[in-house]
Amino acid sequence: MSVWQEKLPQSNTWLIGISGRLDQSLTPKLEETLNALLDNGHVALVVDLTHATYINSGGLRCLVSAWRKAKAGDGTLTLCGLNNRLQEIFAMVGFDKVFTILDDCATARGQARQGVRS
Amino acid sequence: MAREQVLVVPGRYKEIKRICEFIAAGAADAGFDANTIFHLELCCDEASTNIIEHAYGDEGVGDIAISYAVEDDGFTIVLRDTGQAFDPGDVPPPPAISGTAMPADELADQMRIGGLGLHFIRNLMDEVTYTADRRHGNRLVMVKKLHKDGDP
Repeated sequence: MSVWQEKLPQSNTWLIGISGRLDQSLTPKLEETLNALLDNGHVALVVDLTHATYINSGGLRCLVSAWRKAKAGDGTLTLCGLNNRLQEIFAMVGFDKVFTILDDCATARGQARQGVRS
Repeated sequence: MAREQVLVVPGRYKEIKRICEFIAAGAADAGFDANTIFHLELCCDEASTNIIEHAYGDEGVGDIAISYAVEDDGFTIVLRDTGQAFDPGDVPPPPAISGTAMPADELADQMRIGGLGLHFIRNLMDEVTYTADRRHGNRLVMVKKLHKDGDP
């Protein structure tokens, strides 16, 4: 279970990756990571959920909160790599319409390099 | 009468993983597929979180007792606590969200009001009942049918 971050080359975008269950034990770490980036003015964010195996309402709220802050700073928060279970959960609460969700994180990386704003 | 399995844990967030593992193991034994087990874990997670946040109001205030029983046609989960009564039925459902033309901003605003966890429970379980009394505490019963296909 971990949260990691990397600045994507040739862009101002930061990618935050999650591995494991996005639940009460991991969400505080994700929240801290996202807030630290946002507070430092990094508002172009991609959250890689390829290795996230689970999400609950607290995890969803954390992502929505970061999306709001990024948007308030004229930025973006894009999600990528959701498995079928996570996609179903996002759709069940309509968050698939709130977030830009890309199937493939390689696409998100490519868009960041080209300066595409989603 | 089906044999009941019971787990009692302190009402702390870190204990919710144990609750999920307990239910996942029971649901796997009952024959549910991995996707349904994921749904059951999520519902127990959300119900336990609500007990800590709303019934007890904080961590470490009281215990959560969770049990399950496998019957011919269903898997019955019961969560008990001794906190304040918190009737999920009193929480309004979130705004209609499927096929909505609501702007993303507004949708996110409304969803923030709460009830996200309850929304999952209502959508993913087949039956949900809640009872509260001063002597026996609060009792949330959630049932997942074992063989929905072909049932009337």
